[in-house]
Amino acid sequence: MLPILTWLVMMLCLFTTVVKYLMGLLLRLSFPGTKILKDYSRQSTVSVLLPCYNEGRTVYNSIESISKSNYPADRFEVIAQDDCSVDDSYEWMVKAQQDFANIPIRVGRNVSNCGKARTVCNALEHSTAEIIISIDSDCIFHPDAIRELTACFAEPGIGSVGGRVGVSNPNDNIITAIQTIVYYAAFELYKIPENWTRSVCCISGCLFAIRRELLVELEPILRARHWFGVPVNQGEDRFLTHQTLLRGYGTYINNDALCWTAVPNKLSVLFKQQLRWRSSIIRDLFFTLKSLPQHVFRLHPNTVFTLVLTPLSALVAMMVMVTMFICDPLAWAGPQPLVVYVGLAAIFSWAIKKYSVRETIQHPLAFGAYLAWSIVSSVFITPLSLLTLDSGDWGTRTKQPQEAQIGHASAS
Amino acid sequence: MATPAPVNSTDPPTVLGNIRWSVQSVAYKAVLATYRVFAILVLYAVLIGIFSYAFIMGFYAVSRSWAAPVILSAFDEKSLDFMQQLVISRQTIEDLQVDIVRQQTTLAEMAKYRSAILSLDPQLQQAITREREQAKHTGPELEKLEKDKQADNAKSREMLTQLHDLEFQLNNDLKAGLITKADATSQLATLNQAETAYTDSRIAAVELSNNVLAATTVGTKSLDAIEKQAELRSDIAQLDVTLSVAEKQLMEDNRQVQRLHDAIAVAKLSPYYLNGNGDKQLYFAFVPYDNQAVATVGAPIYDCYLNMVVCRKVGAVKQIFSGEQIINHPIFKTQVRGLTILMDLSHPQSAKSQTIFLGGKPLWF
Repeated sequence: MLPILTWLVMMLCLFTTVVKYLMGLLLRLSFPGTKILKDYSRQSTVSVLLPCYNEGRTVYNSIESISKSNYPADRFEVIAQDDCSVDDSYEWMVKAQQDFANIPIRVGRNVSNCGKARTVCNALEHSTAEIIISIDSDCIFHPDAIRELTACFAEPGIGSVGGRVGVSNPNDNIITAIQTIVYYAAFELYKIPENWTRSVCCISGCLFAIRRELLVELEPILRARHWFGVPVNQGEDRFLTHQTLLRGYGTYINNDALCWTAVPNKLSVLFKQQLRWRSSIIRDLFFTLKSLPQHVFRLHPNTVFTLVLTPLSALVAMMVMVTMFICDPLAWAGPQPLVVYVGLAAIFSWAIKKYSVRETIQHPLAFGAYLAWSIVSSVFITPLSLLTLDSGDWGTRTKQPQEAQIGHASAS
Repeated sequence: MATPAPVNSTDPPTVLGNIRWSVQSVAYKAVLATYRVFAILVLYAVLIGIFSYAFIMGFYAVSRSWAAPVILSAFDEKSLDFMQQLVISRQTIEDLQVDIVRQQTTLAEMAKYRSAILSLDPQLQQAITREREQAKHTGPELEKLEKDKQADNAKSREMLTQLHDLEFQLNNDLKAGLITKADATSQLATLNQAETAYTDSRIAAVELSNNVLAATTVGTKSLDAIEKQAELRSDIAQLDVTLSVAEKQLMEDNRQVQRLHDAIAVAKLSPYYLNGNGDKQLYFAFVPYDNQAVATVGAPIYDCYLNMVVCRKVGAVKQIFSGEQIINHPIFKTQVRGLTILMDLSHPQSAKSQTIFLGGKPLWF
C-alpha cells in the first residue's frame, strides 16, 4: 500500500510541475480566458505599503521608481514603514520623502523590530485607500505597475492581484542567470493555469495588490501568526494569497504589471532566501492539511491540488534525491540531466531574449548548473526548512548593527 | 480559522483567559523545546550523514585495496548456466567418442576390404598376361595344325569320292551275286565309318579354326577380364576417397574432443565449478582491476566497520581466478570490471560484508 501511495504522490507531483508548464504554454497561446478583464478608467485610491528593513539606499530607489508611476498623484500614496533597521534605511526613506514631493509619502518606524508581516500591518493603520499594494523595498517598479494592478480589480470577485517580477541583474553571474530563467518560467508559464481559474496560490510579495476590506479582515490573523508561540514573520505573501482564496475571492497575476528585483548573486544569500521560501511553503502545507475539508469544499480542485502537491513535490524531490544517492550515487553525473537542463535553458533564453529583452542572458548554457543547485535545494534546503520552522527573522536582510553603515543618506 | 490566539493579544485579561493562556503557553514551550531538540539532533545526524557519505565516496574513489565479497549459490543463474554448459560439454564428448569408435571400426573394415580387392588386381593382371603369353605361343601352332587339318580333310574327301564308286561297285557285285550279302554289308559299314570320320574331322577343323581365332585375336572373354579389372580399380579409388574423408572426420572429432576437454579443464578452475561441485562452503570476492596489485595468494583480508574503520583480519586470499567478472560497484553502483578470488575465511560472516580490504587495513586502524 505504501509503495503505491508513494508512487501516486510522485506521479501527481510530476503532473503538477511538468503538466502545469505545458498547460501554461497552451493556455497562453490559445485561451483568452487567461487574460483578466481590465478597466484602466477605474482609478481607485491606492496605498503603496513599503515595509523596509536594512535596505539602505535601495529603498530610496524603490520610492523613486514609484514616484514616476503613470497613476494620478492624487489617487495614490506611499507609506514607508521601517522595521527598526540597523542601517541607514530610515534616513534614505526620509530623504526620498523630501526629494519626491510630487507624491504623498508617509514615513514611519516600528517601535520594535517585528518582521515584515507586522510592519505591513503597521503601515496599513495609516492607510485609507481602496486598494493596498504591498511591495518589497528592494524592487524597482515600472511606471505602469500601479495602473495595471488596479485595472484588474474591475473583474468582480478578484481579491488580490500580483505583478510580474523581473530580474534586474541577470548577468551578474551563473546564480543570477539561473534565477532569471526560473523567474521567467514561473511567471510566464507555471502561473498561467492558476490565472486561468483565478486561483494563483502565491502572489509575490514584491508586488502584491489587495482590496483594503480584505486586508483589514486578514490583519488580525496576519499579526497573530505563530509557530507554537514563536511569531511567524515570513511568507506573508503566500499566507495572504491563501487566505484570499479561502474567503472566496479570486487571485490573479498580471504580467503587465512589472517590477524589477536584484536577485541574490551569492550562494549563501540565495540559500537563505530559498530556505525562507521553502519554510513558508511547508508551513502553508501544514495549514492546508490541517483544514483540508474546508479547502476541498471551498476551492477549485486545481487550487487544492496546487496547494497540496507543490509543497509535497519538494518533499518528494528530497526523498528521490536521497534514494538516488543511496541506490545510484552517480546517476546525476550522467549527460542526460545536463542535456535536459541545457535544452530548457536554450528555449527559455530564446524566449526571454524575444519577449523580455531587459532580462536577456549572456550565457544561457550556464543554466546547466541548475542541476547542481536542484540537488542542493532538494537535499539540504527542504530538510533544513523542515527543522527550522521556529526561525522568524527577515532572512537575507538580517544584519548586525556593526555590519550596517548608518547616516549616509543625508550625505548622499 | 484554525489560527490560535495571538501571542501578544491585547484582549482584556480574564481569570479563565489567563489560565488558558498559561496552559497554552506551557504546552507551546514544551512542543517547541521538543521540536528544537529533535531538530538539532536530526540536523546533526544529517550533517554527520552527509560528511560520512562524502568521505565514503571520496575514500572509495581513491582506495586501491577494497574487494567485494560475493556469495555464490549453486542455484543462482550464473552457476546454473555454468553447470548446464558443463553437462552439455560432457555429453558432447561422450557422443563424439562413440562416433569416433564407430568411425574407427568402419575405417578398419574399409581398409581390409581395400586390401582384399587390391590384392585381386595383380592376380587378374597375371592371369590376363599368362593367357596372352599362352595364346602367343599356341596361336601360330594352331594355325599350322589348321592348315594340316584342311589338307587332311581334302585328302579324305577325295578318298570318300573313290569310296562312293566302290560302294556302287559293291552294290553291283551284290546284285550280280559276286559277293555275299554279309561281305557287302561289312564293306558298306566300313565305308560308312569312313564318311563319319570325315565329318568328325571337318567339325574338328571348324573348332580348330575357332581356337586359332581365339588365340590370335582379342575376343569378348579378354574384354570381360579387362572390364573386371577396371571395375576393381574404380572400387579401390572410391574406397580411397571414402577412407580419406573418414580419416579427416575422425581427426576433426578427436580435435573437438580435445578442445572440449581443454575447456572443461579451464572450467574446473572457475569459481562457479568449485562452488557447484564441492560440499564445503566456499567464500569468493570480486577484486576490481584497479586493485589487482594487492590480490596475491596469501594476502591478508581485513573486514571493517562502517566499510572502512576498526578493521580486523578475517582470513587470506587462497586462489585467484583469471576469468573476468563484471559487477556493480558496491558504493557507486556503476559497472566495474575485475576478477574473482577465493578466500580462506576464519570469520565466515565477513563474506556478508559490503566490502573487505586486501593486504592491509585501509586507514591503519
